[in-house]
Amino acid sequence: METIPHVVERISQKIEAKGVTVDREKVRSKLTLLVEEFGIQIQEAERTVTNELMREHNLSTPAGSGQEQRPIGDITPGDWVTVEGKIVSVAQPPAGAIAQSGIIADSSGAVQFVVWAKARAPTLKERTWYRLEAAVVDEYRGAPNLKVHSGTKVTELPEDRPLMPNVAPIASLKPGVGSIRAKFVEEWEPRHDRMLQTGLLGDESGRIKFVLWKDGEREKLELNRVYSFYYATVDEFNGRLSLNLSTAMYIPEEGDIRVSTGSDAIQGAFVHMAPGSGLVKRCPVEGCNRVLSRQNYCPVHEIQSSFRYDLRIKGVIDDGKKARNVLMQCETVEQLAAMSLEQAIEIAENNPLGLDDVLIQLQHRVMGRYFRCIGSDIDGTFLVRECRPVQCDAPLHASLINRAAASPGGDAA
Amino acid sequence: MSNGTGGKFAGFEREPAVRVFASELRESRIQFKEGEDEKSPSYVLLPTGERCNRIFLCGQMTLKEKRGEQNKFYTVRVQDPTGTFFINAGSYQPDAMQQIARIEPPVYVAVLGKPGIRTTADSSVFVSVRAESVTEIDLETYRCWVLDCAQQTLDRLDSFDQTDDSRKAKEFYNTNTAIYRQIIHDALTQIDIQ
Repeated sequence: METIPHVVERISQKIEAKGVTVDREKVRSKLTLLVEEFGIQIQEAERTVTNELMREHNLSTPAGSGQEQRPIGDITPGDWVTVEGKIVSVAQPPAGAIAQSGIIADSSGAVQFVVWAKARAPTLKERTWYRLEAAVVDEYRGAPNLKVHSGTKVTELPEDRPLMPNVAPIASLKPGVGSIRAKFVEEWEPRHDRMLQTGLLGDESGRIKFVLWKDGEREKLELNRVYSFYYATVDEFNGRLSLNLSTAMYIPEEGDIRVSTGSDAIQGAFVHMAPGSGLVKRCPVEGCNRVLSRQNYCPVHEIQSSFRYDLRIKGVIDDGKKARNVLMQCETVEQLAAMSLEQAIEIAENNPLGLDDVLIQLQHRVMGRYFRCIGSDIDGTFLVRECRPVQCDAPLHASLINRAAASPGGDAA
Repeated sequence: MSNGTGGKFAGFEREPAVRVFASELRESRIQFKEGEDEKSPSYVLLPTGERCNRIFLCGQMTLKEKRGEQNKFYTVRVQDPTGTFFINAGSYQPDAMQQIARIEPPVYVAVLGKPGIRTTADSSVFVSVRAESVTEIDLETYRCWVLDCAQQTLDRLDSFDQTDDSRKAKEFYNTNTAIYRQIIHDALTQIDIQ
């Protein structure tokens, strides 16, 4: 679920982009009313509030007959437009009401499109140029989306024009369609049966999560290799972007590029050890790696007779202002708690308390202590790459004494 | 504090653990709920002007007592450089109870818990902490906490009368910030750091 503050921010930014100042409190109360009092879905409420504000500030744009031809890069939600572009990707339509969906591009940019079944339009062919007259641009999940409806005139263009995608830095991607040149820097275990591959792509400007779905015959990416990705779909959820490669073309490139480390540092007290910490058993099935229950049950592959041990800590590091979920993997835990995976296995297998004893010992070594961690935040969990205990800092001690003594006999406030 | 309104909607956001010295917590008198819901978090308003639903403290465990007949619970006293915290853990805090059972005073402990204010039969006010976890720590960690707590209390004093919570605190407690600076100063000079 997307949260209200986040949607408020998105609406406000959209209106502010048109040069009007927005009272966020007002946006929030309108949105809260619709969502909490009337039980309207948040996406629908977002649309309603946005349209209302547009009208209020005379920004309503569904103007013009849509006869005027526009570059795809310039169109915005609310427009009626005529565009000429190349179909660079078509996807399986997700619902019966939709005949076709995909991406259309010209040299100025690219946009996702939907052809309604009711439009009775000809089937659009991949890698072919079309002129779409009087199509409507609306918004779907925060990105512009071109709708081909029954009033839209679709004409196939005979010639193939040169088209070069605009490759952009990762940091500048916005919801919609994007092309990047990036390195495949981290591979994660897919969490869904339909997922072929997932992980992180990086360039000099930043890193982004990607997903490659199994539908269609797609080739897997090779780790640590640089690729050009053309026309990937950029999705947004809770303020984070991710790249869906199912619509994209990708071409391996020669050479290497420097990748932003995407590192962050957090410091605070370790205040909570979450369930699932300690010595865990993982499913041995190739590519699964899920954590087994204590009865060796894998949620996908059911009962397993063998397994692979792993050591990890899921917990919370709290700096007094913010509590952050952290995940520490085997290497970090071994170093932090001075307990190797072998020692943990030894404890678990030769002790009546078994796995619980490992947990108790880990708790004893990390709970309540101060750590400084380096890593990156992924979907609300801080993945720790490096972690170190915080030492008492004599200069800090001295400066705090000075601060406390700063206003002797007087009231600073 | 900035998370005041954010936390209201983002229901999943964990409440941070505020650092507070014993002598300040002891002076707290206001406990309030944000929202009507039975499960809305309850906050204690600290005299230096910050609400807290959860606190993190370190100190020396000086006393551990098991009480109650049928419903056993532990009460524990933890001493920091400014005073004593009163900690309790009952059968609804099984993790904390088991942790306390393994600890024998006097040792340094770290406590995570929820502060609460109650009025006793003879109408005196008692501030205690319901423990979520109690774990043994070393002297070094205790010193780190004293610095951390001093720093965060000073931060609160520096923005006193500038935030909504601290304006409320000023109105109710008539807080003398100079006294708190003195308390922090005394706490800091009690610990040695080489």
